[in-house]
Amino acid sequence: MLDFTEASLKKVLTRYNVALEKAMTPEDAAEEIYPKDELIYPIAKAIFEGEEDDVIEGLQAAMDAGKDPISLIDDALMVGMGVVTKLYDEGVIFLPNVMMSADAMLNGIEFCKENSETAHETKGTVVCHVAEGDVHDIGKNIVTALLRANGYDVVDLGRDVPVDEVIAAVIANKPLMVTGTALMTTTMYAFKEVNDKLLEKGIKIPFACGGGAVNQDFVSQYALGVYGEEAADAPKIADAIIAGTTDIVALREKFHKH
Amino acid sequence: MAAKRYTSMAYASADEMTFGVSKYPVKAGLDLEIGAGYTIPEVNYAPRPEAGASKEKLVKEYERITTDIMSRMVQVGFPAVILETEHVQQMSNNPSWGAEVAHAQKTIMEEYHDEYGIKCALRHTIGDIRENRDFLQLRGDKYSVFLEAFEECAKAGADLLSVESMGGKEVFDYAVLRNDIAGMLYAIGCLGSIDMEMIWSDIAAIAKKTGTVAAGDTDCAQANTAMFIGGGLLDKNLAHTLAILARAISAPRSLVAYEAGAKGPGKDCGYENIIVKAITGMPMTQEGKTSTCAHSDVMGNLIMQCCDCWSNESVEYHGEFGGTTVQCWSETLAYDCALMNTALETKNDKVLRDLLMLSDRYRDPQSYVLAYDNAYRVGQAIVKDGDNIYLRAKNAAVECCNIVSEGAAGKLALSRFETKALADAKATLDALPSDMDKFMDDCLTKYKSEVKVFLPENYGF
Repeated sequence: MLDFTEASLKKVLTRYNVALEKAMTPEDAAEEIYPKDELIYPIAKAIFEGEEDDVIEGLQAAMDAGKDPISLIDDALMVGMGVVTKLYDEGVIFLPNVMMSADAMLNGIEFCKENSETAHETKGTVVCHVAEGDVHDIGKNIVTALLRANGYDVVDLGRDVPVDEVIAAVIANKPLMVTGTALMTTTMYAFKEVNDKLLEKGIKIPFACGGGAVNQDFVSQYALGVYGEEAADAPKIADAIIAGTTDIVALREKFHKH
Repeated sequence: MAAKRYTSMAYASADEMTFGVSKYPVKAGLDLEIGAGYTIPEVNYAPRPEAGASKEKLVKEYERITTDIMSRMVQVGFPAVILETEHVQQMSNNPSWGAEVAHAQKTIMEEYHDEYGIKCALRHTIGDIRENRDFLQLRGDKYSVFLEAFEECAKAGADLLSVESMGGKEVFDYAVLRNDIAGMLYAIGCLGSIDMEMIWSDIAAIAKKTGTVAAGDTDCAQANTAMFIGGGLLDKNLAHTLAILARAISAPRSLVAYEAGAKGPGKDCGYENIIVKAITGMPMTQEGKTSTCAHSDVMGNLIMQCCDCWSNESVEYHGEFGGTTVQCWSETLAYDCALMNTALETKNDKVLRDLLMLSDRYRDPQSYVLAYDNAYRVGQAIVKDGDNIYLRAKNAAVECCNIVSEGAAGKLALSRFETKALADAKATLDALPSDMDKFMDDCLTKYKSEVKVFLPENYGF
């Protein structure tokens, strides 16, 4: 069978992921940025490792030591998740790590809420849905996990969501933005209807769209559309809105890559 | 009909396999014989979004698409073509819509066949509509509509019947985002195979009744999801060593269609088809460098190595400088086929096969395992326990790990991350039980609790 020499192989392809791999292991990188507080550290580490039982154990220990359960959401769980999302954004860890950490974090948040009568304030609310007629929801599931991991409250409408249900959820929840995902060209047409009905109601919030067949040109055709090429763009768009960039044109300028 | 399991390989060695030639060619459509010594372009397309507004608009759109492709094939002098219509959901939910489209397309194809003698066939890929907003409903009310869509399209002119079925996807989507190799094995290898046996027994019966060809399935819903999430070299969403494990596990799952009566050609996006061809000897469609209009992959040349039909996956219908998209992509596919057919006619097919294979062999662990010699080994691991859907899927995964490890000891470069993901997966696989019932029971308990959309009754449990 034909084969390359090592030298000839290099003239045909380069595995850039190997050539450019960072020297530091994910565990070492996380260790450098964990909070130093001895009660918070084990919680943050358990979040990074996606160990749900250890998260609860750490939270219980912190509460026993007098920490306020609701404060622990921001001061421990979100800090631990911050380590995870930072390393994900830097390309040190991969998405499954984020998903497992997010599961552990959400579990921890529920535990904190059960142990307190005070409400927890999030960074804001985002309404997420999969286009009407489309049942492919893995992309939406990634988007919702990443938004929650970044401290947002998510109203997850699920898949194959009728346009009117999206509008009703926006009116009821007053989100800072709506997300829509779709795999198929024929279903993403529903995004235009969502856009038009939002405008009819006088609602002018960003409508972040992405998914398999969705592209920047299509999303740019409707007034509220902001294209997200990656699921990881969703929390970044939300962060930009919170930071004051609410104008659609400005958001497109920032996030449209093509 | 009960599935007849494969317990041996169709080919005595990997080197016997090449493009355009299969052990069991398939006659279909208007004078086509697939896998009978020549490769055939298979063009796939999607209507523009606004075309789904009504049946009339959809039919008109597909008439334009069909005419564009057939005319371009004739204009540039290509002898054969297959058209694949992947249903938009309206066409499968309303079987009469799909049937009208099939009839309209076939009428045009017959006109071209009558006038120019161009050999052609029409594949209709029915949408897997067996779900509602909240759950997969694999055995629910929609199953009869699903089968009706096959039958109506077959009666109206479709020659090749396919689907990208979804069995196991609810568990897979959960598992793949959590590096859960046991969950992937359960979802694809067990749940997927159980569902495949049910639907393909019924589809094969419809094909027999209508004089059409039950062509095959692809694990698009799972293995391609893994490949898509895995993405390119710099993407950070899934280790490519896990993506190829999902692919290896998908081969025994896609094999079930042929065990239940399908004849090929297997559908384009089944990158596992090279393994399936090694086991069954049936013709397969593949896609790679000519499907960049739909998605990127890391084996664009390699995957052409043993194809019988060569596809572009899907392209939205609209205008380009060189004509409409379907004209441009059909011409590209057909030129590729002309090159392969020239190699076949001049007895240079194995040289070209090996050049295609080698150019991507070390690009990625995914391409390394799907190189025809390694794919053949995965096939051997599957048929070793061919009668047991769990063990053969586990065997495929273990052999995949072995192949990648051997490659990494040579010229296949892996990142530390890919190496660790592989080692973790191998350790998990080694710890799995050898008893299928125990594995199934353990998984049923675990995923019933962890995956809220998993309904065991979908699989007859």
